[in-house]
Amino acid sequence: MKMVTNIAFSNAKYYRSKSILTGAAVFLAAFLLFIVPTIGKDMVDAEYAMVNDTFPQYHACYMDVDSDKVNALSAHNDIGSWGLSCYAGSVLMTLPLSENAMENVKPDMIYMDENGAALSKAELSEGRLPTGENEIVVSKADLNLFGLEGEIGDTVTLSYQIYRGGGLDYRQEHNFVISGFLKQEERGMILVSKQFLEASVPAEEIRYQFLFQVAGVEHAMTDDVEDTISRIAEQFAIPEADVAVNTPYLESNYIDPSFLWIVIVIMLIVVFAAVLTIYSIYYVSLEQQVQEFGRLKAIGATNKQIRQIVLREGLLVAVCAVPIGLLFGTLMTKLLLFLLVNMMEGNLLTEVRIKEIIAGHRIPFYHWWIYGLTVVVTFITVYISLLKSMHMAEKIPAVSAMRFQGNARTPAGVRNGYADLTIWRLAKNNILSNRRKSLTTILSMSMTGIFIMIVASVLSCTNPEQMVNENFNGQYEIVLDTVEGDKEHPKWAWEEVRKNNPLNDEFLQEIRDMDGVENVEAFSRVDIGGGIFDPEEPHYISGIPESFADELEKGITKGRATYEDIKSGDKVVLDQTFFYWYPDLKVNVGDTFTFTVYDGDHEYERELEIIAIGDFRQGLSGGNCLIMAKEGADGLCTDNINRRVYVYADQDYDEKLENKLNEIIYERSKGLLDMRTRRSEYEFDKSSMHFINSVCFIFLGVLGAICIMNLINTMISSVNTRRKVFGMMQAVGMSDKQLRKMLFSEGLFYTLGTLLISIGAGSILGYGAFLWAKHNYILDIRTFSYPWIMALVVTVVMIFVQIFLVLMLGKSLKKESVIDRVRFYE
Amino acid sequence: MDVIVDKKAIKEIFVFITEYAIQEGNYMSIIVRVEDLVKYYGSGENLVKAVDHTSLELERGKFTAIAGRSGSGKSTLLHLLGGLDRPDSGKVIIENQDIYSFKDDRLAKFRREKIGFIFQDYNLIPSLNIWENVVLPLGLDNRRVVKEEAEHILDKLGLSDKKKVMPNTLSGGQKQRTAIARALITNPAVILADEPTGNLDSQTGLEVMHLLKQCVSEFGQTLVMITHDEMISQMADVVIVIEDGKVVNRS
Repeated sequence: MKMVTNIAFSNAKYYRSKSILTGAAVFLAAFLLFIVPTIGKDMVDAEYAMVNDTFPQYHACYMDVDSDKVNALSAHNDIGSWGLSCYAGSVLMTLPLSENAMENVKPDMIYMDENGAALSKAELSEGRLPTGENEIVVSKADLNLFGLEGEIGDTVTLSYQIYRGGGLDYRQEHNFVISGFLKQEERGMILVSKQFLEASVPAEEIRYQFLFQVAGVEHAMTDDVEDTISRIAEQFAIPEADVAVNTPYLESNYIDPSFLWIVIVIMLIVVFAAVLTIYSIYYVSLEQQVQEFGRLKAIGATNKQIRQIVLREGLLVAVCAVPIGLLFGTLMTKLLLFLLVNMMEGNLLTEVRIKEIIAGHRIPFYHWWIYGLTVVVTFITVYISLLKSMHMAEKIPAVSAMRFQGNARTPAGVRNGYADLTIWRLAKNNILSNRRKSLTTILSMSMTGIFIMIVASVLSCTNPEQMVNENFNGQYEIVLDTVEGDKEHPKWAWEEVRKNNPLNDEFLQEIRDMDGVENVEAFSRVDIGGGIFDPEEPHYISGIPESFADELEKGITKGRATYEDIKSGDKVVLDQTFFYWYPDLKVNVGDTFTFTVYDGDHEYERELEIIAIGDFRQGLSGGNCLIMAKEGADGLCTDNINRRVYVYADQDYDEKLENKLNEIIYERSKGLLDMRTRRSEYEFDKSSMHFINSVCFIFLGVLGAICIMNLINTMISSVNTRRKVFGMMQAVGMSDKQLRKMLFSEGLFYTLGTLLISIGAGSILGYGAFLWAKHNYILDIRTFSYPWIMALVVTVVMIFVQIFLVLMLGKSLKKESVIDRVRFYE
Repeated sequence: MDVIVDKKAIKEIFVFITEYAIQEGNYMSIIVRVEDLVKYYGSGENLVKAVDHTSLELERGKFTAIAGRSGSGKSTLLHLLGGLDRPDSGKVIIENQDIYSFKDDRLAKFRREKIGFIFQDYNLIPSLNIWENVVLPLGLDNRRVVKEEAEHILDKLGLSDKKKVMPNTLSGGQKQRTAIARALITNPAVILADEPTGNLDSQTGLEVMHLLKQCVSEFGQTLVMITHDEMISQMADVVIVIEDGKVVNRS
């Protein structure tokens, strides 16, 4: 078999262009197969490291658990380490508030046992957990926020509300001794002792949060851990609503199947593109080796040996290309990671932490198993690519050694032909006489082209401007942020706020009167239950202003409804997102359901008819499934039920106006109003999309480069197998210019064929992908935007590559005299 | 081989060629002049002097045979005469034009207008049928095919019924006649033939030679042919013997 390897090695050297192109395709495939999981793993690791730094470490928490159940749960076989936590009440800020304090920020008073504190990541920077009734642990930052100072052993006075009878009780004030300090960043929590808890909250009202890790789940799938958590909850009759899975922590420490699937799908796409390319390169190039394999057969080579020659030739190329791909991937990993991380907006705390983790090399960037995986997958890819060529090579008969004359499919018999010949006709004749080879090249390149166009179609529909338009109206959004169930601040509850809603006519008029404001529109919200929804789930009807009547009517997809129709208060339009969230429920136009309307402190039954179904922006529906005219919605309630206000300004962004709005919000809201600007939303969406686009286009670019190897090989192979023919044509007068023109015409056929299929089928399938993405509410895609830029880039790149190739090939042909080509390429 | 030689038709073709030649005003004059032509291959110990300071003149309308042993440089000389290769130095002047002063594209144009090639192994384009092979030089010259003229040539060469046939189904003689038709289609000033009978049996080879000889003797077509064959050399008007890249005899 040594001879077989020697022949394979000689072939790899002799058919240099084929080896280089195959090597380039293998190199790029290995690079992608390495870089995709590496970057993916590193980003996920960085995110998980951030989660591990920040989030608690329990797998799940069963809420509302009494002491008896705690004892039973702790004895369960599947429960590993466990701890307790119990909410005792909330601390009230002592006035005057520090500069940063909001009125409704209230640190929780929580009892935690030692394990509970450890699992909750309530780490102490100094001191110990509280044991005495009057002991607390607090963070220095919180202490500072209360306007207090102190060290361990110092006494501080705190005002607080105990949680009793399902809500916060009246204010109390006590002295507490500081027994320890939480780490600086732990804000919004004060730890109290068990004694304090038992003394403050009646025993029958004490309900623990049972924090635990599932036992024996190292290297388990996230789904499996979640299944165990649900199973235990079922065994102890803990309602689903009382099970809180610590998803970020689970995903950060256990294998997330969805992540695995994404990586597998991307790797399969790379493998598919590489197989098509390498297969096509070998298939097309086999023509050059027909006579050689015929000769080997003639002197006694067996089929197995021929197969092995083809396989080993490919594997030898891969042996050289894979390490280069891995080396390049290794060098690019850091660069790409930093590039990607720098693309993040960086405003969110989590993003800042991820940046810090990567910049500080706190996670390992390289993983030995990815190197191994890349090598294995790449070699399997090369093997699969070569199967067909191996089979074809072994089928070459020995007689080919004598008969074959350079063109694999020399046409025999009779052909009508042309009365006059032109360069274009000569090119066309060559393409048609090599139909199978031409089709193989075009189809294999088109597969990648189609994929690129599909991804580009989806990405082109994700315009940040559109994403903002989807969710936003005007330039500024002011929303109510109410707090439910706080006895100390009952006025912060929605049912109270609506009685004296800050989003009143006077407020709206004041905004309208501001310089630069063109209009102000308010959306109202009716709280409902029952009807088509689960009675326990809170749902809402959006009351939309009349200026949205046209948009409403245009969005209707089933039934008929005008804005006038839904003013009456007994008719609604259903947003079709309902069917996405509740796919099993059957609701039709004309159906009437009885809903419970929650009108402040009383409720009543109301029949509502669904008169139409439509597809609406979230900016219109407010994310609610039921839509009514504002007049109708307001009529269902006695109070002012405005929830969202949109300010339309004459400029897209005006800092002065933003400041003025902030001032009025601060004056009026008492912490109940929040404001977002279109500009900040746009910047955020733009940054996110920039990140996603960059990642996708880098990937598609490399994938495209793999596909281009195919075109290069076909052109080179097509020239190499016809050097003699070109020599003959030039001997009878074909000029270099005419030869280039002929090669260009042939290349144009491949280019146009590939572009036609890629862009044609890619556009159709891309539109399908858009409809799928729209249906599944992916990236806020609503309207189709054809990926002109990508189509243009693909076209320009292919034509450029082709022109470059023709020039290079023309140049390479010129290196040999006409007679050399006529004589030596037999 | 079933070659039908229609003397009347051949005469018509060569009358046409001769008239063209007379119009050009160079009848029976020097058509090709070679001045101190040099073409070496390799270097050092491997240096091959394929054409070594060779000078010669070829007369219009004559049949010149270039003879010599294998490796003597006769093929290289023929290729240089036809502009298929470039010399290291020296000139080839055809119809008063120094062909190696031309750039490649101009040289290609000159080749398709003034020179017809006939190769030993025919060099037909396998993907084109016989008609397309014959009219290829016209197509490359952006000239429309005068159907009657092309059919006339094919008819005279006994290929009328083979127009749509692909080359790989033809016999050697038929292929070579196709190559001759291709060489004649543009009415070239010079026909260069590189051992055109080398791959043919003696009977077919003789027929092909008669055809070419007729071109020269009856219509003033200039024919330059490489041959090993003593009999064919004797058919030539002029025989040039090449040895080690130099003309050693002319008779």
